[in-house]
Amino acid sequence: MDVTINPETGTLIREGVDSILNPFCEYAVEMGLDLKRRYSDIETVAISMGPSQARTALMRCLEMGVDRAILLADMKFAGSDTWATAFTLAETIRTMEGDFDLILVGKQAIDGDTAQVGPELSEILGIPQIMYAVGVELIGNKKKVRVKREIETGNEIVEVKLPGLISLSKGPMIRSVSSFKEILDARKKELRVVTAPELNINENELGLKGSFTQVVKIFPPQVKKTGMVIDSSEPQGAAKKLIGFLKERKFV
Amino acid sequence: MLIIDTEKCTGCKICEKVCPFGAIFVTDTIAQVQDNCTLCGACVNSCPVEALSIERKPVPKEELDKFSGIFIWGECEEKDKGIAPKKVVRELLARGRKLANSLDQALTVVVLGDDKLQGLETLITYGADRVMRCQHKLLGSFTTESFTNVISAIISKEKPSVFLFGATPHGRELAPRVAARLHLGLTADCTGLEINEKGELIQTRPAFGGNIMASIVSPYTRPQMATVRPNVFSFGNPDNSRKGEIVDFTVILFPAVIKTKVVAIERLRDEKEVNIEDADIIVSAGRGCQKKENLKLIQELAEELGGVMAGSRAIVELDWIPHTKQVGQSGLTVGPQLYIAVGISGAIQHLVGMSSAKTIIAINKDPDAPIFKVADLGIVGNAMEILPILIRELKKSVTF
Amino acid sequence: MLSWSNGKIMHEITSEIVPHVDLKGIRCIEDYSEICQDYSPYLCDESKLAHQGAQYLFFPTNEGELSAIFKEMPKRDVTVTISGARTGLVGGAVPYGGAIVSLERFDKILGLRYDTHSKEWLVKAECGVTIRDLNNWAMKKTFPGLSESGSAETKAFLEKYKESQTTYFYPPDPTEMGAALGGTVSTNASGARTYRYGATRNWVRWIRIMLASGEVLEIPRGKYFATPAGEFIIIDSAGNETIVAMPKYTMPLTKNAAGIFSAPNMDLIDLFIGSEGIFGAITEIEVALQKWQNPISIVQFFPSDDKALDFVITLRKEKSIRPEFIEFYSSHSLDLLRKKQKEDPKVVGMPPIPDYAKSAVFFDLQFNPESKDHDYSKLEEIVYRCGSTLAMSWAGYEQRDLERFKNFRHVLPETVNTIIAERKKKIPELYKLGTDLAVPDHALEEIWGFYKSILEEAGLEWVAFGHIGNNHIHINIIPRSLEEMKEGLSIYREFARKAVGLGGTISAEHGVGKIKKEFFSIMFSDKVLKEMKEVKNALDPGLMLNPGNMLDM
Repeated sequence: MDVTINPETGTLIREGVDSILNPFCEYAVEMGLDLKRRYSDIETVAISMGPSQARTALMRCLEMGVDRAILLADMKFAGSDTWATAFTLAETIRTMEGDFDLILVGKQAIDGDTAQVGPELSEILGIPQIMYAVGVELIGNKKKVRVKREIETGNEIVEVKLPGLISLSKGPMIRSVSSFKEILDARKKELRVVTAPELNINENELGLKGSFTQVVKIFPPQVKKTGMVIDSSEPQGAAKKLIGFLKERKFV
Repeated sequence: MLIIDTEKCTGCKICEKVCPFGAIFVTDTIAQVQDNCTLCGACVNSCPVEALSIERKPVPKEELDKFSGIFIWGECEEKDKGIAPKKVVRELLARGRKLANSLDQALTVVVLGDDKLQGLETLITYGADRVMRCQHKLLGSFTTESFTNVISAIISKEKPSVFLFGATPHGRELAPRVAARLHLGLTADCTGLEINEKGELIQTRPAFGGNIMASIVSPYTRPQMATVRPNVFSFGNPDNSRKGEIVDFTVILFPAVIKTKVVAIERLRDEKEVNIEDADIIVSAGRGCQKKENLKLIQELAEELGGVMAGSRAIVELDWIPHTKQVGQSGLTVGPQLYIAVGISGAIQHLVGMSSAKTIIAINKDPDAPIFKVADLGIVGNAMEILPILIRELKKSVTF
Repeated sequence: MLSWSNGKIMHEITSEIVPHVDLKGIRCIEDYSEICQDYSPYLCDESKLAHQGAQYLFFPTNEGELSAIFKEMPKRDVTVTISGARTGLVGGAVPYGGAIVSLERFDKILGLRYDTHSKEWLVKAECGVTIRDLNNWAMKKTFPGLSESGSAETKAFLEKYKESQTTYFYPPDPTEMGAALGGTVSTNASGARTYRYGATRNWVRWIRIMLASGEVLEIPRGKYFATPAGEFIIIDSAGNETIVAMPKYTMPLTKNAAGIFSAPNMDLIDLFIGSEGIFGAITEIEVALQKWQNPISIVQFFPSDDKALDFVITLRKEKSIRPEFIEFYSSHSLDLLRKKQKEDPKVVGMPPIPDYAKSAVFFDLQFNPESKDHDYSKLEEIVYRCGSTLAMSWAGYEQRDLERFKNFRHVLPETVNTIIAERKKKIPELYKLGTDLAVPDHALEEIWGFYKSILEEAGLEWVAFGHIGNNHIHINIIPRSLEEMKEGLSIYREFARKAVGLGGTISAEHGVGKIKKEFFSIMFSDKVLKEMKEVKNALDPGLMLNPGNMLDM
């Protein structure tokens, strides 16, 4: 079920809609775990910012095999646009995981779907970004990455020295399944909750106050036209109707 | 203002090299900044010891009005052995022209490239008052780092009130990087851009996969940045009588700025092949086509109609077609005259990529498929049985 | 001796007449060729059994219209086959001539109430409501039409229901949730959750049933009981009395959908539940709901079928662990699924089945992901004793994981159907052979050993899966030729005899209908069959209703 707008009140209807780990972020986690399987000394940390939904997403990451997690949860983060989100994440990473080598993110969130947090985070941290990745390899004694990425005309193979950020577009065709043991073990792993006071950020730079963009109105999309639907269980008739239509509209 | 941490500074002179304006230099192993610094942030980004930072305070209201000009990134692509502006630039020019007229400000297109740049004069016939040409051999192919540096430098110097990018794959890599460097508000995938009574840019976009529309403003930052998907705005015929100027912007770039190295390219879209974003007739396949072999029918139908084949995310994930032909929210946005959806259910994430098609035909076995809500003609049936007959009939009706 | 309660005689019940309606006003297709051309789905059900023609197709919208049909058809010497959602697997709705009466228009929810005595929420619905809709509405707490059309009392209950933080559901969960409620009551349908919650019978609290006379019996559970001699007296509106004697036999100690219910001092409502429409058409039903708790789905892999069975037997005995259901996938089943995954991974929807997985047991446990104390050491111990570990499992509790695990459970029978459909193209007479046998708990290992030894000797292609918690394992033989099919059928007869011999049933879920009558006679002696026929003769002397179902009259 999708989030929709109540046309009378103009507010979001979020009840009954599941919060899930964003599919693209799940690709990022799968890639991180894939690298961890290939090189045993890699530690993986999942980080997320948000209300309780973010917690379930992090739990899923831990169940998938991520070593530990950080949850940024504080009312002061509420209302963050992509800038404020990237800014808050950057500060957290800088102070708590400063010696990171690689940040993996999903291409875009299927709710906000701006795809902006990844690049903004990279810029604030001053690291290179590689977007639209579909395959990642560590090379040069794990000091560089070689990434296959999708571009408009095909694919590119690029290399860059770490630390860096990679945004994933694609993952395994079938989502992985955790074992019952992994689900139980996840609950024993470290899930650190970080609040605003722990970050050295001025209150005015957090949440809504720290955002550069503001939503001034939300409304339901225009209802599209409904055309003519023909139930043709018989292919010959359907093909005839199609040709007639194409001729009428001058495509043939 | 630019802050230099003298304790951290090692006098390595990298900042000197990357500054587009020659505003920073090293004396006595410490960096110093001059008055012509535009706060573009290139040096901050390149300093290896993080000795440089820019304190960006919110712009006071009086200052906001000093920003003037509608700017558009004139993204280019390969064309006939050179590089020329993409179709989306003309779409942005059409909308930009309206914004410029509302605000009574000039409309500028910023084009980055090497000596193979061509076709810039046409930008004026499509509405630009000025084309800023930034030529450098390191700009011959797109890299985030070099393009970010140049655009940030231009913004810092020219102080436009609005800066628009096409929400193309490159546009979506570049715009947020620039926004983060200059601490600007950025709205992605706008489907509407208007000026309100206060002279602010109202940026309208879909959210939650398209189930909701949101109107957004950037009240405290200039320029107001937005990306717009291709095929959202339309443009009219060029006006050859229009006057405008092409000016050159001096680009200072060093190879060290570019950190990512391209080691190989795999072309999946032939040079001759039409980009589905530009196609007028598209026949699109979904999971309902059942197997990869069945795509032969889609291809044949496309050819008969003089169009191209595309597909939904579902079949790209199954590796039936390359991502270059993917239509949808996480793929490309198309705006053809005719879109035939075969075996596509029409989830909102797909509709977002094709609903601006002028005429839509849908064939699907499921009478409740949401695609029928947007189709001008919907056929409930087995496409794999209908298509061979349709193709046969089309072949017959070709007259010589 | 008569049975008494509050001075009322408990074994007597009077039927009521319903207001008269003119037959001409009832929507009816009167031409067989028209039925064949435009309404062909009404001539068959999921069993794919060939029909034997039909003269009329009626669409009554209320009891008055149904009664008019029941009164008129005997005058024209026409039998009646009741049709619901036609999802049955034994040909129950397939017409053998006569009139088809579709009850699809009986699709309203009639009421919701809380019974303070039994402390249950109860929903009343017409027979044509599907159990999928019933369950969805109950869980989402919206019943279409009820808030507008219900009485003030119903509206008050609806408010209270919505306010309650608890979620409720309807437990009987046959794989085919598109089945009509009336159909599930007529066949005493079961699903995976029958392991924990019992069959449909356990959840039916009240019915309205229209007899062949066109008059209606309203039967709440707990009101009408048989005499010590096992008799009921049914009195019609004119005062005529019919004595109905219950068949006397001991029912198998298993999940059972074969035959007429029998028990000492039995409740009248149980006569009609599971009677496959041969005594009357059920028009309205009131069922109880159960509290829902979010589960976790677990697929536990084992190194062999024997170890998997060990696990099931041990798990069942462990009182501290209460699975919602226990399902089984044999070694051959997993191999078939692996093949399907290679062809079309998205259909199976799960990562590749690990090589070490030679058998699988699938169960749901109530699970709260937020809980601070998860102690599954007992489960871990049992799994370990059966040669496996909790690391060799798949588990998920998010809504979308529960859905794909559920999908995974259904993929195997669907895959078998697809293979049969393919083979049918070359050999049109082929069809899937499936068993629906169940035995009591103590006989599980014995029957499994029996199945395996015979099938392995015969060298046929087969898979085994199903509701192992109820000792109800489906054996699907996938014949490659007509000879293999014949051999399969004779093997099934052997299986049926063995199951009955061990105290089991020939139909745990699907019912008898028109297809399983041969096996039916393995289960019941001639004497008992005669007794069942006597009930039919008493209640439907004109033999109008559902000819061909269960009993050959």
